[in-house]
Amino acid sequence: MILRQIWAVYKRELGLYFRSPIAYAVAFALLLLFGLIFSSNVSQLNNRAPADNLNFIPSLLTFLMFLVGPLMTMRLLAEENREGTIELLMTLPMSETAFIVGKFFAVWTYYSVVLGLTLVYYLVLTTIGVPDHGRALGVYLGAWLYGGTVLAVTMIWSAITEDQIVAAFLGAATVLVLYLADLAAQFVNNLSFTENPEFITGLANGIRELGLTAHYNSTMFVGVIRAEDIAYFIFMIIAALFITTRIVETRRWRA
Amino acid sequence: MIEVRNLVKKYGEVTAVRGISFDAKPGQVTGFLGPNGAGKTTTMRMLTGFMPPTSGKATVAGYDVFEQSMEVRKRVGYLPESVPLYRDMTARNYLMYMGEIRGLKNVRAKADDVLERVGLTRRAQSRIRTLSKGMRQRVGLAQALLHDPQVLILDEPTIGLDPIQVLEIRDVVRQLGRDHTLLFSTHILSEAEQVCDNLVIINQGQIVAEGSPAQLRAELERGGRVLVRAEGPVEQMIAAVSAIPTVAHAEAAVEGVVVTPRDANVDPRPEIAQVVVQNGWRLVELRPLAVNLEEIFLELTRQVAPAAEEASERADADGGEGGDEAGEGAREDGAREDGAREDGAREDGAREDGAREREDEEAKS
Ligand SMILES: Nc1ncnc2c1ncn2[C@@H]1O[C@H](COP(=O)(O)OP(=O)(O)OP(=O)(O)O)[C@@H](O)[C@H]1O
Ligand SMILES: [Mg+2]
Repeated sequence: MILRQIWAVYKRELGLYFRSPIAYAVAFALLLLFGLIFSSNVSQLNNRAPADNLNFIPSLLTFLMFLVGPLMTMRLLAEENREGTIELLMTLPMSETAFIVGKFFAVWTYYSVVLGLTLVYYLVLTTIGVPDHGRALGVYLGAWLYGGTVLAVTMIWSAITEDQIVAAFLGAATVLVLYLADLAAQFVNNLSFTENPEFITGLANGIRELGLTAHYNSTMFVGVIRAEDIAYFIFMIIAALFITTRIVETRRWRA
Repeated sequence: MIEVRNLVKKYGEVTAVRGISFDAKPGQVTGFLGPNGAGKTTTMRMLTGFMPPTSGKATVAGYDVFEQSMEVRKRVGYLPESVPLYRDMTARNYLMYMGEIRGLKNVRAKADDVLERVGLTRRAQSRIRTLSKGMRQRVGLAQALLHDPQVLILDEPTIGLDPIQVLEIRDVVRQLGRDHTLLFSTHILSEAEQVCDNLVIINQGQIVAEGSPAQLRAELERGGRVLVRAEGPVEQMIAAVSAIPTVAHAEAAVEGVVVTPRDANVDPRPEIAQVVVQNGWRLVELRPLAVNLEEIFLELTRQVAPAAEEASERADADGGEGGDEAGEGAREDGAREDGAREDGAREDGAREDGAREREDEEAKS
């Protein structure tokens, strides 16, 4: 039953992405950007290893997710809040969880399609040389989980507000914070001249671990696939979906 | 079956619903009548499981709306006030989507079936965005009927429709009422009167009257006024009728003389008839003056003033009655239980002069 409901929500939502001009515009702009970078890199191939070129694209995509992620998710719940369609949905025999999970998988699928399209460049590379397949696996798996996490986190804001622009702004800010956690950790670490150096390093490590980059840029991106990184992303997604569900619930109760 | 007991809803400081209790029975249309902000939508949102009550209890189809919300939701069809729909879907796809979420089988056939019932078969493929307000209302209604629920809760289904569509929707509601428990809200009294078997009048979160339209009328009519139409000089007639011991007051009105009895339970009509005949006037008509439900509604739902203020207002209203001036203010101030009567009397009073002239003419001829 719950799977059928998730499937129904998922199908509708995904259909919307593939009928929405904005979704196409975002995908097109990204692919155009990557294409330009790719061709300029390939033209300088004579003095560079092919694998480096390949990895530039997913890494740029993960960086850009602080902008693209909120654009992908802002509509998801804010629109239902504004239109009042949520009132009817929440009087159907469906749990909030099914609704949120369905929506999330839809946007994650859309993201996966965009990410999948960048594999075109990878295929082109295989005709020129032999890229490092193992590393590529890490890069793509990481980019996929990284994207899912960003989408789940930005979706929280879409549940909170009825205003898509507000949702997008706050989402971008949140992702930037998670992205820059690494820098913050370094900054904290530099404070270790104080009397309690262990505490400071511990705190710095904690902040670092919470951030996105620590689990991608220095691990999967260089081809190191660690269970703890995968666990981090999955945990973040589940936590964010849980928070979103609670928000939808309490919004309705206050209504 | 809907059973509501002491239901309360607070939005922070605001208490929207203050402990209401009523029943809606199967096979009946129960009208939920009240002015803007009375708490109709709030009550319906609690009954449909959209939001929990602050306190009190309600069961729908035998299940508690809070404890067994999912069971309730399976059995309720709900049309929210704003008729929220996915505007970029076609009517049929929308209904199929709602059906899938409800876990129905053969959603396509069910969607087409309800579309036919609301007369939208031809627009099944139209995007909801392109439908007229009335058509959208019907899509919303179709959605509420999709799973053939026992209980239907419709929040102002006729608002914003043209008169023909209003009649159509009322017809649909009446028909649905035969084999469903149907609760529907409105602020139009005449609509409630036409459509409902049972009326619940709510104001400021409290129920102020309940019963079938006929019952309400009968209850409020008791002790009501009597209209006397006879061929004769009006002044003398008033004097003669006023002299009857059971009569408190008589005055001229458009149709004839309106007589207010001294005691609501003692019918003055036999004496009036006698007096009229004794004076040699020809009695044309002698009947209880129907209390207009509209007046009752206005009275019941007018702002409830604090007790002290109300008492002084009542005194004012009583004082004003002797003089024949019926200002708007005085009208508002009428005390609740006898206000309806007074209102009528004042209105009649306002037209008194015209009536007198006409009747004088009649007397001459
Ligand atoms: N979400 C909300 N937050 C705070 N107060 C609310 C909310 N919704 C309704 N109210 C208040 O509760 C009271 C009852 O509102 P409700 O919408 O139930 O009235 P109604 O009878 O449906 O009126 P109408 O005929 O205008 O639809 C009003 O005073 C309203 O201001
Ligand atoms: Mg309302």
